[in-house]
Amino acid sequence: MKLWRRREESLDNEIRDYLDRETQWNIEAGMSPEEASYAAQRKLGSTSVVKENTRAAWGWTSLERFWQDLQYGFRMLIKNPGFTLVAVISLAIGIGANSAMFSLADGLILRPLPVPHPNEIVTAGYDTSVGGFGSISASYRDYLDFRNTSKSFDGLLAHTSYSFGFSKGPDSPAQLKMGMLVTGNFFRVLGVEPELGRGFSDEEDQVPGRDAVVVLGHDLWEKDFAADTTILGKHIRLSGIEFTVIGVAPERFTGLDNYFRPALFVPVTMWPKVLSDPKIKPLDARDYRQLTLRGRLKPGVSVGQTQAEFTGIAKALERAYPETNRNRVVKVRTEFQRRLERSPPDAQIATMLLVLAMAVLLVACANVAGLLLSRAPVRAREMALRLAIGAGRPRLIRQLLTESLLVAIAGGLLGLAIGYAGVGFLSHLQPPTDFPSQISVQLDQRALLFSLTISLLSAIFFGLAPAMQTTRTDVISGLRTAGAETPHRRRLLGRNALVAGQVALSLVLLMVSTFIYRGFRQTLGAGPGFRTDHLLMLSFDPTLLRYNENQTQQFYRQVVERAATVPGVKSAALASGVPMDGSNLGSMSILPEGFQIPKGQEIPSIFGSTVDEHYFDTMDLSVARGRGFRASDTASSPRVAVVNEQLAKHYWPEKDAIGRRFRLDSPDGPWVEIVGVAKTTKYLWIAESPMDFVYLPLAQHPQTQMTLLAQSSGDAAALAQPLRQMVRELDVNQPVFDVRTFDDFYQFRAVGQPNVVIRTVGMMGLMGLVLALVGLYGLVSYAATRRSREIGIRMAIGAARGTVLRMVLRQGVVLALIGIAIGLAASVGAKRLLNTIFTGDEVDFVTYLLVAPALLAVTALAVYIPARRASRIDPMRVLRYE
Amino acid sequence: MSTRQDRDKLELLQGTLDMLILRTLLFGPAHGHAIAHAIERGSEDVLEIEHGSLYPALHRLVKQRFIAAKDGLSENNRKAKYYSLTALGRKHLTAENSKWERLAQAIARIMRPAGEESQS
Repeated sequence: MKLWRRREESLDNEIRDYLDRETQWNIEAGMSPEEASYAAQRKLGSTSVVKENTRAAWGWTSLERFWQDLQYGFRMLIKNPGFTLVAVISLAIGIGANSAMFSLADGLILRPLPVPHPNEIVTAGYDTSVGGFGSISASYRDYLDFRNTSKSFDGLLAHTSYSFGFSKGPDSPAQLKMGMLVTGNFFRVLGVEPELGRGFSDEEDQVPGRDAVVVLGHDLWEKDFAADTTILGKHIRLSGIEFTVIGVAPERFTGLDNYFRPALFVPVTMWPKVLSDPKIKPLDARDYRQLTLRGRLKPGVSVGQTQAEFTGIAKALERAYPETNRNRVVKVRTEFQRRLERSPPDAQIATMLLVLAMAVLLVACANVAGLLLSRAPVRAREMALRLAIGAGRPRLIRQLLTESLLVAIAGGLLGLAIGYAGVGFLSHLQPPTDFPSQISVQLDQRALLFSLTISLLSAIFFGLAPAMQTTRTDVISGLRTAGAETPHRRRLLGRNALVAGQVALSLVLLMVSTFIYRGFRQTLGAGPGFRTDHLLMLSFDPTLLRYNENQTQQFYRQVVERAATVPGVKSAALASGVPMDGSNLGSMSILPEGFQIPKGQEIPSIFGSTVDEHYFDTMDLSVARGRGFRASDTASSPRVAVVNEQLAKHYWPEKDAIGRRFRLDSPDGPWVEIVGVAKTTKYLWIAESPMDFVYLPLAQHPQTQMTLLAQSSGDAAALAQPLRQMVRELDVNQPVFDVRTFDDFYQFRAVGQPNVVIRTVGMMGLMGLVLALVGLYGLVSYAATRRSREIGIRMAIGAARGTVLRMVLRQGVVLALIGIAIGLAASVGAKRLLNTIFTGDEVDFVTYLLVAPALLAVTALAVYIPARRASRIDPMRVLRYE
Repeated sequence: MSTRQDRDKLELLQGTLDMLILRTLLFGPAHGHAIAHAIERGSEDVLEIEHGSLYPALHRLVKQRFIAAKDGLSENNRKAKYYSLTALGRKHLTAENSKWERLAQAIARIMRPAGEESQS
């Protein structure tokens, strides 16, 4: 601005100087002073014109030009509210869908660890995957060996999640809190500075059971201690042991797992103390693989190098400890890889939704591009004029792109509002449980940045081609005739392709949502294979009260016996894991008799559950062959198991599995005899493919965390009160958690969650369809307007309305048909991909028969309306107007 | 296609005035008024340029770095803006000069037959 004023002043001076000199010159030539002054002014010309032209010669700085373009673009958009509205809303839908889906993908997979330089952190350990769900873990002994031998890390830490019975003092009731057992270097390696107090020192994980110190999570500190800043040095009780608070973790450190937010952190050396089972030696047993190992890579060290190093260390460990470390596969994974492998369905669903959202945005961009293209002839005159007075084509393209940018930003802002609503909807994915499970789907900074980026990208995507097109104007013909020139073939071809593509994409979107919807309906209709009604669940963990093993088993025996006598209870059973709840299903390794482990592989892990003798009856789970468990299956009787039909078919396809044996846990584990084959049911979620499953009798495999399942004769929820009362009579302090009817839980897991997915996909399908219809409608009415003269002439020389109608219709319908054909072909491919995620028919003919004609009908309608309007043209008016 | 031709014509006209300014400055720095009169005198008053069009041309040449502007004092101690030729401007002038000469010859060749044709 300062430069500007100086330049103006300098120009003023220069012109005044000229006028003075010229006047002087004239006076010397003999004029009177007055005359001389006039003559000088005449010689110069108009001062303001000279100034204006000189200013033009200075040119514009790029910033001034951008500002000019913005103002001009803004005026253009205000002047064409119809165009602006349709374009902005189209984009808002596309961008909003992406913001929401990105937030979901971010919450599930993408969001980096909440620590400094998260890319340097990798996960390492032995492969302990179960049934396709990836898991990497190690025992404490393994950890020490890896840590002491490896040279790849600036610190290797270990941690595991652990549920503590938390109470503020000896007299307060215990609550269940999910916390973490961590090594002393935990906070230091991660680079997390406690908000209050300190993290652990390396001294604090040296001696087992010595250092009863705890770092509180920020949430716990805020909620249970009202953010008390004098908390340091105070005592809390965890699983009956007194711990001293030494620090509070910062708010932004939400743990190392995007599914769960730890309430507190305790040194791993306290593990044996908090575990009430003296038989488990977590710090000594080399095969007690419960720890996750995480390390910060040294600068310049790659994941591949670390993997090679770990494989070497694992080889050495295998030689040293063959009975525990034989045939173990060691893995080093980046955080992203780890998350992808941990739950492939999550990754697949997130990817699918993100791809679909991109497709919606693509349709939206196509729409806006189509609108811009149809405005090209309208603007041809303006462009020709500006080219004629000397504007360069790049300048005009820049101008048009600035307009696109404005549309994109307006669309992006509105899209965020839509995304916000979408995120609210997606947060229904949170399971109802007492634990603060944290699939945090939120529209955070990252989502904002993502939305902004795709807004800008889409501006270029939908704006560039039309801008090139619009500025490719022939100056002379552009000035001569406005809007009535013959349509360029290429220009229409581009738009036609856009619209056909839109129809195709929206068909795919609708197809996919219908596939998924019908797939789920089918599975839901078939049922999960067990009872879901008239069941109430209550979960317990007596070790939170430091019950020893005998006390625990005694407690469970009493609970199930007494529950059966509570009025309204038909039967009661205990299970270590209830179906559809992945968080507490156990994994078991079995090796059937006569089968060899393939070389270099470990004994296969499958999901399983430990249940009592009432379980199969209570759950209405039919044992197809053989028998369920009996009271006579005790700790001292021969070991028995019930497997599902899938497992039986897997290992003994031709023969009966009853009477067969398998080794449990390891190749030289105990023999277990199969006494029953149960129906294959759903275990994790409703749309899973059939998988191997094994049931073990509770009496032979005592567990600490169990769920009581009570079958009611009446309303299941009404049992909550008497059952809680019954537990209170056994032990008044016993925490009871996750009290819910199985029906509620099932509705959420099997119906609610899939419904969110179905609705999301369906919503995107509908959005895509609406956008495609707008595009089709726009194209046909645009083409009809351009042909209005031709239509007028045809009608004047006697063409019937019907003929004109058919003529205009044909163009649109042909496009719709082409789009549908392409869409159908793409849907076949999409279905094939979907079959890898969801169970369902191989080919779903009904969907094809349902969706394609419906789409044809609505597209035909979108074509018919403008075609009808075109056929109603009054030929006289059109031709006179020409 | 027509666009390009139109623009070339305009540039040619502008270029002529630019060339005359550069030519004038070949003899040394001068202020706007002096340049205007020098061009008029130089063409023996055949070319009457509108003095007002001089200033946009001067500023454009400054922007193109063919000439440089400097505040100085004139003979009677008055502040004035002096323009002088830069090395780049000198080179440009030589190039323009030969281009102009070729153009003049070409036009001359064309104009003669054209004149004969219109008479017949």
